[in-house]
Amino acid sequence: MEPILEIEAVSLQFGGVKALDDVTYHIEKGEIFSLIGPNGAGKTSMLNCISGLYQPTSGSIRYKGQEIVNKKPYHRTTLGIARAFQNIALFAHMSVLDNLKLGRHTLMNSGAISGGMYVGKAANEEIEHRKKVEEVIEFLELQDIRHTPVGTLPYGLQKRVEVGRALALGPELILLDEPMAGMNNSEKDLMARFILDMHEVMDITVVLIEHDLGIVMNLSDHIAVLDFGKRIGFGTPEEIQKNPDVIRAYIGEETVI
Amino acid sequence: MRNLFVRESGNYKTSYSDDMKLFGTTGAKVKALLIVLIVLTLPLFVSNYWIGLFTLCAIASVGAIGLNILTGLTGQISIGVGAFLGVGGYTSAILTSTYGISFWIALPIAGIVTALIGGLFGIPSLRLKGLYLAIATLAAQVIILFVISRWDSLTGGTAGMVLNRPTIGEFSLSTNTGYYYLCAIILLLTVLYATNLIRTRTGRAFLAVRDRDIAAQIMGINLFQYKVMAFAISSFFVGIAGALLAHYTMIVSPELYNFHVSIEYLAMILIGGLGSVFGSILGAVFITLLPVSLSSVIDMLAAFAPDLYQLLSAFKDFVFGAVIIIFLIFEPGGLAHIWLNIKKYFKLWPFSY
Repeated sequence: MEPILEIEAVSLQFGGVKALDDVTYHIEKGEIFSLIGPNGAGKTSMLNCISGLYQPTSGSIRYKGQEIVNKKPYHRTTLGIARAFQNIALFAHMSVLDNLKLGRHTLMNSGAISGGMYVGKAANEEIEHRKKVEEVIEFLELQDIRHTPVGTLPYGLQKRVEVGRALALGPELILLDEPMAGMNNSEKDLMARFILDMHEVMDITVVLIEHDLGIVMNLSDHIAVLDFGKRIGFGTPEEIQKNPDVIRAYIGEETVI
Repeated sequence: MRNLFVRESGNYKTSYSDDMKLFGTTGAKVKALLIVLIVLTLPLFVSNYWIGLFTLCAIASVGAIGLNILTGLTGQISIGVGAFLGVGGYTSAILTSTYGISFWIALPIAGIVTALIGGLFGIPSLRLKGLYLAIATLAAQVIILFVISRWDSLTGGTAGMVLNRPTIGEFSLSTNTGYYYLCAIILLLTVLYATNLIRTRTGRAFLAVRDRDIAAQIMGINLFQYKVMAFAISSFFVGIAGALLAHYTMIVSPELYNFHVSIEYLAMILIGGLGSVFGSILGAVFITLLPVSLSSVIDMLAAFAPDLYQLLSAFKDFVFGAVIIIFLIFEPGGLAHIWLNIKKYFKLWPFSY
């Protein structure tokens, strides 16, 4: 298996705070990879470095062998990296359909002039991409709410639309930041099924941040564990479960009285 | 053909292209045709005075749609609209009066020049947001007006310039009716363009920048490019409106484009409805006709109480301000939202469920 994303010695510093400290791991093509760790461990900072919102202080991030540390966020999107946010970052006043269509922004060409005239190519493009978006809508079972403004939807559905917007991009690598946060068990099951499906059917490499360890252990091929910005574990779920550092970070030190 | 007066009871569309048509139902087509027909036959029914007012409304609508693309759609506040109107007006004035170029060439050039200058003043928008950007655009207002009033050799300084009404071949648009048709057609084109823009790639990107700029960036939108583009597109229409206004009043001078005008345009889109094309028109008509209707009310009242005329005249500005405040408090969605509510009510009428 070749790695799709290689993180090498990435450090991120905000003033005196080391959010990430010399973190190294790699993600293989076609796997479900989980990033776990206690609150404030630097998981979201890690994703921000991958998607380009943060510039690492040092280190290298290679996507399919290509260095992307210095690339702007929208460039990384065109390479095939999509991202769903932890705190829902949808465009609240737009419909579900428009939110998903926006996900296809980089794949479309029409500009301000051709789009404004809505003839020929621009119109055909809208229709063609509508078909692709409808595939995502069908996949995530959003049919009945496609014309609803996202801001009026309940939380669970908004989370799903958030994932859908990332999927609409047709990515090779999708970064999901706590897609199941705040959901009940049946909603979590549904989301887990979507994640497995996008992995199996759409052949997308998934990077998942999740606090529900049961789901993480069941879904993931590999796991990296962060604690206070340091990588304290990296391996298969079985290895992680036996890793003494990880156990210490999660349930504390065993003290002999 | 289906009965025109009966609404479809469900969605009968079978293809995406049908679903995405601007006028998807027979009803919508008839409605659009009716509106165009009313706009085009209006001069047959109303007096010359009203035609002049409607012309001003149409011009203001073009400008308000332009500003709404920037402020309503993209979320970038601009209080330099007055100066951009001036850029459009002066460009056309200089081209037609000084260089004798035809109005039909000068009009698009006025739009393009304003777009370029607007784009230039849009560059700070990458770093500045909200109030800070508003102050930066205020700088545009001041700088542009300063240049216009001091560059005597080009602009005639504070004295201004005199323009002519355009002609088509032998036919001059010097009558109000002729000029009304020109402005109405340009407004229709602007409405079509803006409506299409909103529902395609660029418009969605604008909305995304307004709602969540960080997420927009992650979805592959180059913030800088789209913000500057919003400034340029918006300024293009403001420039066109400025040129139309200049040829209507047949004079340009710096005080016609002062800060007050910028505020009026902001009021138009606030009262009309941010981000709504139809709202821009409602707001533009409202703000253009408000002083006129207030004056006529005051004239009527003055007939009964001549002593109060002075006092009532002062009330005009008071009412103007009060209307804006009342709208901001009670209907932030603007006239467009009120219209939507009325439509919703009648969709279910007479049963409210």
